[in-house]
Amino acid sequence: MDVNGCALAVYNLDGTFYATQDGCTHATASLSEGEIVDDECIACPVHDGTFHIPTGQPMSFPCEHAIRTYKVIEDGEDILVDLDQESDAAADAI
Amino acid sequence: MCNANGDKPVRLKRRPIAQSIENLDQLLSLEQGRMSRDVFWDKDIYEQEMERIFARCWLFVAHESQIPKAGDYVSTYMGEDNVLIVRQKDGSIKGFLNTCPHRGNKVCFADLGNARQFVCNYHGWAFGIDGGLKGMHASETYEAAGMDKSEHGLHPVAHVDSYRGLVFATLDPEAPSLAEYLGDMRYYLDAIFDMDEGGTEFIGGCVKSVIQCNWKYASENFVGDILHAGWTHDSGAKAMVGGPVAEVHKTPEQSYHVNFNGHGWEFNQDIVGNCATLGEKDLLKYLYVLQPKVAERLGEVRSRMIGAISSCTLFPNTSFLPGQNTFRTWHPRGPGQIELHTWTFVNKKAPQEIKDMWRKGTMMTFSPSGVFEMDDGENWEYSTRSNAGFVTRQQDLYLGLGHDTRVDNTDLPGNVFQGQINEANQRAFYQRWLDLMKADSWKTVPQRDVPKMKEGV
Repeated sequence: MDVNGCALAVYNLDGTFYATQDGCTHATASLSEGEIVDDECIACPVHDGTFHIPTGQPMSFPCEHAIRTYKVIEDGEDILVDLDQESDAAADAI
Repeated sequence: MCNANGDKPVRLKRRPIAQSIENLDQLLSLEQGRMSRDVFWDKDIYEQEMERIFARCWLFVAHESQIPKAGDYVSTYMGEDNVLIVRQKDGSIKGFLNTCPHRGNKVCFADLGNARQFVCNYHGWAFGIDGGLKGMHASETYEAAGMDKSEHGLHPVAHVDSYRGLVFATLDPEAPSLAEYLGDMRYYLDAIFDMDEGGTEFIGGCVKSVIQCNWKYASENFVGDILHAGWTHDSGAKAMVGGPVAEVHKTPEQSYHVNFNGHGWEFNQDIVGNCATLGEKDLLKYLYVLQPKVAERLGEVRSRMIGAISSCTLFPNTSFLPGQNTFRTWHPRGPGQIELHTWTFVNKKAPQEIKDMWRKGTMMTFSPSGVFEMDDGENWEYSTRSNAGFVTRQQDLYLGLGHDTRVDNTDLPGNVFQGQINEANQRAFYQRWLDLMKADSWKTVPQRDVPKMKEGV
């Protein structure tokens, strides 16, 4: 989805929501068209490289650079994204 | 279900048809039951076969049971063209040449599997299961070059269609429909691939081997040659079932050759004759119990074919044996070699132990170490290799059995001949071969056989 000109991929992993940049860091590709694999990774639909959804870290070839994560705030029925903050998991890692 | 890859521009570029070899008519004198050995040896004839038979005919490429889910694929051959046959998300089946349109490398190296995409090893071009180019490594450089991805997908096979679980494809956009191509042979195919509600499936893997023979020796054997069994397979039959091959030449009134569009089936009405060579009494019992139910659905004649002494070739290079349940494609590899791919087929609803017996049975009889396959392979290799002799090659071969055995007053579809010891189907096979070899397009292939079945059954 597009939020203020920023293409986001939003994930629902067993009821917990996450958001990352939608573009793959390897080549032109939309991660939201990919598949969730190994419970918490997104497989790019083009070369099948994977990123860890909670932290954005690259997990497998050909992905080398992390994708940007965004903090998700659940407000009742609404899922809000803070475009200025990394996800909690990514922030903890830093 | 016809899944023409027709919603995109046809990207299969075809070079203009090459000039035909002259005097092809001189190679065959079928009325006299004579033919030239050149058809098994000549490299130019082989090249013309690649163009006019294998790049033109409907060829068997998969069984539906091999690719049940979206993304399931098999890698196989159409002539010497390697193709991927892929189940789509909408349940249809598409086919593509297994070669990257960038620099030509093979895209998929597995024989079968499930894929989200096919990624070329060379430069990272990535293709969806629909064959479309989804992206490349260093995609920015292609974007800067203005390259349009939609123009560079995998080359599609022209048409894919299936009949009773058997998936066929053609590389020729002008080919007739599969129903028209198979014609009345579909009537007989039902006896095997629709004998039981639920149809058939392939079990186990694909067994591959190489035989140093011309592909037509294998095809013509299965299209109509039961004659060889009583002699070639005598010792194998004695070892397997403790007795000689049935003397089918003594009871021609109970057996037939039928053919249509070059496809052919020789069969008798003994229900279990082929199956008996596997030496498993439980399989015979299974067929005997099934036979009356098949008779209700398909009639008496077809019900007595379900495991009978019989063999079939679907033109040009796919064959199977009822009762022994081996299904095979003879992939050409030059005029003097084939790569044989075989599978075991069974009724989906058969009990597991029955399926296992058939798989073991095909291994014992029609695998590279099977007693009957070894018998056949040796014959075909020397039938091919002896033509290396320059003078040998000038000598005609005989193919004249069963003239005047045509049965006209019958309800059976196709061209029907009395007696399965016959060479009528082989002659029809070579007539179809000649018709295709002489024609510069499908439009000029003569339609010799008049169908009794409606096209869209």
